Amino acid sequence: MKKILLACSSGMSTSLLVTKMQAYAKQMDEEAEIWAVGQDQAKKEMEKADVVLIGPQMSFLKSELQKEAQKYGIPVEVIDMVAYGLADGQKVYEQALKLMEERS
Amino acid sequence: MGQSWFDTLSRVLVPIAGKLNNNRYLKVLRDAFMLAFPLTIFGSVAVVLANLPFLDKVMSEGALNAFRSALGVAPQATMGIMSVFVVFGIGYYLSKNYDVEAIFGGAIALASFLMLTPFVLQPEGKEAVQNVIPLDRLGAKGMFLGMIVAFVAGEIYRFIVQKDITIKMPAGVPPAVSRSFSALIPAFFTLSVFLIINIVVTQVFRTNMHDVIYQAIQAPLVGLGSGIIPTLIAIFVTQILWFFGLHGQIIINSVMDPIWNTLSLENLNSYMDTGKVPHIISKQFMEIYTVGMGGTGMTLAVVMAMMFFMKSKQMKQVGKLAIGPGIFNVNEPVIFGLPIVMNPLILFPWIIAPMAVTLVTYVAMSTGLVPPPTGVAVPWTVPIFINGIMATNSLAGGFLQLVNFAIVLVIWFPFLKFIDRMNLQKEKEEGSGESTRTAS
Repeated sequence: MKKILLACSSGMSTSLLVTKMQAYAKQMDEEAEIWAVGQDQAKKEMEKADVVLIGPQMSFLKSELQKEAQKYGIPVEVIDMVAYGLADGQKVYEQALKLMEERS
Repeated sequence: MGQSWFDTLSRVLVPIAGKLNNNRYLKVLRDAFMLAFPLTIFGSVAVVLANLPFLDKVMSEGALNAFRSALGVAPQATMGIMSVFVVFGIGYYLSKNYDVEAIFGGAIALASFLMLTPFVLQPEGKEAVQNVIPLDRLGAKGMFLGMIVAFVAGEIYRFIVQKDITIKMPAGVPPAVSRSFSALIPAFFTLSVFLIINIVVTQVFRTNMHDVIYQAIQAPLVGLGSGIIPTLIAIFVTQILWFFGLHGQIIINSVMDPIWNTLSLENLNSYMDTGKVPHIISKQFMEIYTVGMGGTGMTLAVVMAMMFFMKSKQMKQVGKLAIGPGIFNVNEPVIFGLPIVMNPLILFPWIIAPMAVTLVTYVAMSTGLVPPPTGVAVPWTVPIFINGIMATNSLAGGFLQLVNFAIVLVIWFPFLKFIDRMNLQKEKEEGSGESTRTAS
């Protein structure tokens, strides 16, 4: 089970991407839990996740979230801008997988 | 070479944006205003119902007045005393942020604020009424004093708690009891500070803190914020931040919201009393007439142009993807997909269009062509036209948005067409097989 947390300002604009990523994971026959939250919840939800991806408009959150993520040993990265704009579920899902692999 | 200039600037901007976003006080302020949000919406619905345009045709005058006064308590109990919620919210969230017992922080902040509030009403030319709190002190008029007091009270409270100057109960005492005792000394100290301030101000200077802060800080700041020039500057900075891919509103609004919200409250109070709206610029002006047309930068017109008038695959695809969220004023797809971020070809319309539209809106409202927003809160996700009508309680408010939509379209069109032609060229080259990929 892969657990991917997406964070943006209120969790609203990222939710479209979540649906696309879930569709792609299903297509690949992989079990994945993907969900989006606003910036304030991100720190709390993080312990349940394997990787945290941040919407590019909130890139300035990275260093703060990274500090918190170290406790759980999970990677934090900003979502690729173009992939985010096009709601490219495959590309962002692969970005998440790659981050998880690098860490383990 | 242009790229490196962008990179440098964004390397400067990103940490500043991060600092502002994570600033303890701005964060607390943002959360405190969010606390009042559901209440504000409830009060707004009541105001909208009471002011539906056709009511005077279906109801007798007596029935209409009874209907209005029955609903009137709803906005008064919510937006009318908004400072109470903001003060409590600041005290609560600030304490929470410092990891001290938050509910006491909220209660102490509220009591401190009331400590400075005159419990007397002075009607003009009549005898003063004792033992009442004038409603406006708890609403728009007390907003800035409330915010200042709540932050100071919260800071004193958590300082004393963190210094560990508290009464400790032996183990075995129920936690709720020992908690209330542990808040005793911090509460005593904090409230004493404000009691002394109030004694000095009322007895020595023969005035009260409400009037002092209102005249010295609130009136000048709010007056400044209601002008068109500061508003255009705020929009300019928001657009620039988004151009670098940073959430502009989160940063600008946390500074401007106290001013814009106060203007809204003053508008609403006056609208309910007299039907007139004193300020053009307010929170609703910003939400409905700058964001409420497809998102930041008023991009619904841009998205539609991409869908219907552009020929390149890339633009059509982004247009189709962005139209759904765009109707509800979410526009990250077009900002990052077109892309607008760091795209020098887009910089001009991206900044000029919203400023031009804001100026047109301001002029239309100040000349009386279109009524300004009444102060009724409309969620920013309500689509264009509908939100304009709801915010101004007039059809003209919706039609003004359509004019604005056309202005955005005209300013953007040549730039979109230019990018479209470049995309077509690229797509043709890629399609012809001999892919001459340009690594950009």
